[in-house]
Amino acid sequence: MKPILGARILRNLPTTLLYILVAVLFVLPLWWAAVSSFRPNDVIFRDLFPFSLRALLPQPFTLDAYVAVFQKGFGSIIANTMLVAGLTMILGLIVNGAAGFAFAVFDFRYKKTILSIVVISFMLPFEAIAMPLYTVVQQLGWIDRVVALIVPSVANGLAIFLFYQFFQQVPKDYYEAARLEGAGMLRILWSIYIPLSMPTCISAGLMLFIFQWEAFLWPLLAMPAQEFKVIQVGMASFQEQYTTAWNELFGVAVITALIPIVLLLPLQKFYVQGLAGSGIKG
Amino acid sequence: MQDRKLLTVAILLGPALLGLVIFRVYPIVLAFFESFFTTLRGERQFAGLGNYALLFSDSAFWHSLWVTLWFNLIINPLQVGLALILALMFVQKRPGIGFYRFLFLIPIGVSLPTAVIIWRIMLLPDGLVNGLLGTIGVEPVRFLTSPSFALYSIIAIATWKGISYWMIFIVGGLQNISPEIYEAARLEGATPFQRLWLITLPLLKPTLLFVLVADVTINFLLFAPIFMITQGGPRGSTNVLMYEAYKSGFAFGDMGRAMAIVVCLVAILLVIVALQFRLLNGRANQGDAA
Repeated sequence: MKPILGARILRNLPTTLLYILVAVLFVLPLWWAAVSSFRPNDVIFRDLFPFSLRALLPQPFTLDAYVAVFQKGFGSIIANTMLVAGLTMILGLIVNGAAGFAFAVFDFRYKKTILSIVVISFMLPFEAIAMPLYTVVQQLGWIDRVVALIVPSVANGLAIFLFYQFFQQVPKDYYEAARLEGAGMLRILWSIYIPLSMPTCISAGLMLFIFQWEAFLWPLLAMPAQEFKVIQVGMASFQEQYTTAWNELFGVAVITALIPIVLLLPLQKFYVQGLAGSGIKG
Repeated sequence: MQDRKLLTVAILLGPALLGLVIFRVYPIVLAFFESFFTTLRGERQFAGLGNYALLFSDSAFWHSLWVTLWFNLIINPLQVGLALILALMFVQKRPGIGFYRFLFLIPIGVSLPTAVIIWRIMLLPDGLVNGLLGTIGVEPVRFLTSPSFALYSIIAIATWKGISYWMIFIVGGLQNISPEIYEAARLEGATPFQRLWLITLPLLKPTLLFVLVADVTINFLLFAPIFMITQGGPRGSTNVLMYEAYKSGFAFGDMGRAMAIVVCLVAILLVIVALQFRLLNGRANQGDAA
């Protein structure tokens, strides 16, 4: 048995090396960033020429970078983003959930046409309309106001579609039966459809949250005064302001990446399901 | 009764449709409309096709268009190809695969601007990448400030960030292929390469087409890395149309030109997407006939 195992390991060596190589490519930048964010700024580049593995160890260890980052107001940027993303998520779930429900349960004129407009609207990325959207928001007088970040992102074609797909699978009998028992519309929604749709709510909610967390171009255009900064723009302007505070830049990057990763890890399954839902369309 | 139902539908659909119309449909109409106007000394004037005429006689526009096309010609096949390889690695059953799968998914949680911040420091002349290259005797490369490297560095950064995301779709497609087909092929004595070429890829084509189309639309509109690292430079080598439009509208205040570029961008995008569907469907039909 033993020699065969040895031969197998040898035969698998190229594939194993490939896996390790890919893993290193994915992890190394984040590892270096995380480690360097715990080091004093002047030692980060010290062990690179000639390269020594000490460059990848958090020594000497210090929390200075994180202290500095929060002293420079990064905490309020995180809070701002949480507010924008959280409100978008809550409003988005209500608005898009209701629309998906209407598409799935009722028959009405032009339903197909309206539904196809919804689908087309999510195939065109937000970036394509960001610049003309600026003009729209300007006409509304919302430039430099927080509503400009939230309201345009609430209605979301993909979220509507996810809810539509889900509610379609719920047997219509439930609805008819509850209706016969005299339950009102809200009652039916609240006690039948919402509890059933929890997984879809999580998928769509995550999608809306991550969309806002990662938004860059739109907050950049909509908030030119930069008094209310959200995280990606805040990070970019941090880079502009503190060009050579490498450890602080890494700290900012680590914080910005960590929050969605922590959120995604336990809910990974739902996020992937949401993506898969959008893939079915294609 | 009928009226009540209609009212319910209107209440449920209203907010979402209103949002989509005002913030998705109307901006597109507006972009088209505004591209026929220009602002002269603070006065808004109808310019007809003036913005387009100026644009098409401007060598900066043609250069930017060329950069955009070249950028996309490289990045899209690269990303889809690598995402496919990654997906094939992802679905294998081998020791420690759970751990690898976790690592492969990490860049999804990292936003593009975050990836840009980290990679910009990685790629500095005295950064980690040059440090590692130094161990095999390569002289430090100016990845982000040399006209011959900057565009490719941006491609590398966007690819690092992007392929995990596209991989998820392809993994979904792979899992939809029934294992019995592979079993049958194995009994027929097909090599792993034959199985990939004759079974996996043809069955995966709808998924790959979707990923390609979605990837092209995203990369045609790529903005953050160029804004954060090169600002279109060095010597215009990374000046994609999206950045050119941003510069026109928001640095030089020429919204008419910006809108004209956006309209061109969306038009090119539509043509490419239509072509891709055509091409891939056409090939599918040939395959069926053969």
